Amino acid sequence: MRPSAAALVLIGVAVAALVAHRLWAVGGIAFVLLAVCVRAGRRGKPYLWGTLFSAGFVFLLSPLLQSTGYHVLWSGPDVPVLGRLDVTTEELRIAGINALRLAAVGLAFAAYALLLDHDRLIAAATARRSVLAAALATRLVPTLERDAAGLVEALRGRGLAPEGLRGHAALLSPLLAGSLERGLNLAEAMEARGFGRPGRTRLPAPPWRFRDYSGVALSITAIAVAALWL
Amino acid sequence: MALASIDRLTCSYPGAPPALREVSLSIDEGEVVLLLGASGSGKSTLLRALAGLVPWFHGGRFEGRVVVAGRDTRRARPADLAGTVASVFQDPEDQVVLGRVEAEVAFGLENVGTPPGEIAGRVRSALAAVGSEHLAGRRVAELSGGELQRVCLASAFALEPRLLLLDEPTSQLDHEGAEAFLERALGNGAAVVLSEQRPAVALRHADRVVFLDRGRIILDASREDALEWLDEHRPAWTREPGGVSVRAGEQTACRVERVSFAYGDGPRVLDGASLELRRGEIVALTGPNGCGKTTLAKLAAGLLEPQAGSVERTGRAVFLLQDPGRYLVRERVDEEVALGGGTAETQRVLAAVGLAGYEARHPRDLSSGERERLALATVLVGDPDLLVLDEPTRGIDPERKLEFAALLRAQAGARATLVVTHDRAFASAVADREISLAALPEAVLA
Repeated sequence: MRPSAAALVLIGVAVAALVAHRLWAVGGIAFVLLAVCVRAGRRGKPYLWGTLFSAGFVFLLSPLLQSTGYHVLWSGPDVPVLGRLDVTTEELRIAGINALRLAAVGLAFAAYALLLDHDRLIAAATARRSVLAAALATRLVPTLERDAAGLVEALRGRGLAPEGLRGHAALLSPLLAGSLERGLNLAEAMEARGFGRPGRTRLPAPPWRFRDYSGVALSITAIAVAALWL
Repeated sequence: MALASIDRLTCSYPGAPPALREVSLSIDEGEVVLLLGASGSGKSTLLRALAGLVPWFHGGRFEGRVVVAGRDTRRARPADLAGTVASVFQDPEDQVVLGRVEAEVAFGLENVGTPPGEIAGRVRSALAAVGSEHLAGRRVAELSGGELQRVCLASAFALEPRLLLLDEPTSQLDHEGAEAFLERALGNGAAVVLSEQRPAVALRHADRVVFLDRGRIILDASREDALEWLDEHRPAWTREPGGVSVRAGEQTACRVERVSFAYGDGPRVLDGASLELRRGEIVALTGPNGCGKTTLAKLAAGLLEPQAGSVERTGRAVFLLQDPGRYLVRERVDEEVALGGGTAETQRVLAAVGLAGYEARHPRDLSSGERERLALATVLVGDPDLLVLDEPTRGIDPERKLEFAALLRAQAGARATLVVTHDRAFASAVADREISLAALPEAVLA
């Protein structure tokens, strides 16, 4: 399947997860996306952990911030501004759906970042500048991961291994500064290679095949089915 | 008529003193001009001025005139000059835009409006010209530093430029890799302006040599005249340093015995390698790119654990990584160094590496050579028992290298020192002993 068609399928599946309102349907979509992402192997680790952490956070926190339902499972203390903390069956169900929706969207993004050929996506895009910016931003995650590992290794080499959350948090500022510097260098190289000049052409891309059109049809169908019956 | 001319150019970056002062230079079609000079002497700025990146990209003050192929760079943007001019910068990782080699080489061609039917053919020809046709379908992230630098050169070649600008393009390559790279880069027929800190190979190919000192041209001469001038005034740039008086080490500071190592599920990088480092001696670890030098050094310093074999170490070990950018975690130079020692020691170490007076500067405002020296200061502070340096002379000019070698020699008695390097001149100027590592599957020589 062409990367542009695959990207449309992923968008379709993510939208289907957002509009579906049955727990099993959203869970099924998230599970399928998880199975797709596992194909990326070790490279997928930061994306999977990031998605699971975010979804878990939503699942744990949102019941405490809502006041929905009558079947109380746990009743806690009164907290200023928030009122009484309690957890109901209905709140847990809503939290579960929202967490799974977030997981599905995160996993769809992970599949896009890990498994699609961004170069071909850029080549096929009409809005090339925006798609190029998105592709470069996608590369930021593995680059930041590598830079962070490099900073920690350099500190270990000085006998100063960072410890605890505070020690690692202190690396955020140099990490950001390094990223900005890298971004400036890249922008300079792009300018020197003619980026932004009018009259750009593109390397001819192969035409779409039957399976590409089928993928797009599938994604539209998935959204419609999710909105109407799931 | 000259292909490019610079007329009385004085320019400075925002808030900084002039990087170039009253520079005039002309470059003819097909000419190879070698730029030499200390770190921070203005070589990179001169190259950026020829590409139009100064002043368009960097801003600052700009006086004088630069004309390339009849176009004044005050009116023509760098993107407009692309195709006529092509640049290869120092760090290949910071100039790669796309994820696959073929698309990366095609990027510039697409930008300058090459007819679509011609792009694929020119990509193939450019990759063939740098001996990298086999890389066409590969992912950029999987390439070694040398392969990546060749892809960057292919991206420049694909544009078929009349003027090729190369800013220390061989700083990450071993001697053989650097020689092959320069032969390909300089034999393309385009005029080339090249800056280099390891000038031996480039001097053989250059038609002219320009020497910059604090932003001014102090030599602009033919290769033969330049060699004479360099011999007389800047001998460090042309002469191989003499050998050192070899010292025998004392007690063992680190013993690595029959270690093996592989990264993840990848192939073995080391298989049964051994190494002994003694207090009082400096050992140079040499070998081609990718043979496992850095891995062996990290095992010796304790940054990696061997999967087989053993490592014994006495005292405190420190390790200097190849990328000095990874040592910049504080807002001031002195704070950066003081992370590992007291104030007095910080001052002493900064003076020893030639950074006295830089205490209040932001580490990221330093030039690449200055960053290398700051990174060195951060590991020298605290008097380690085992000092491991991985390619410490990258971006450092020959004169500073000799000073650096003298500094390491002067302090060698206090510790065992291992220097990973492919800089042969530096190895002979600093080391008591050399260990040459062969790439697997050949045996490790020690």
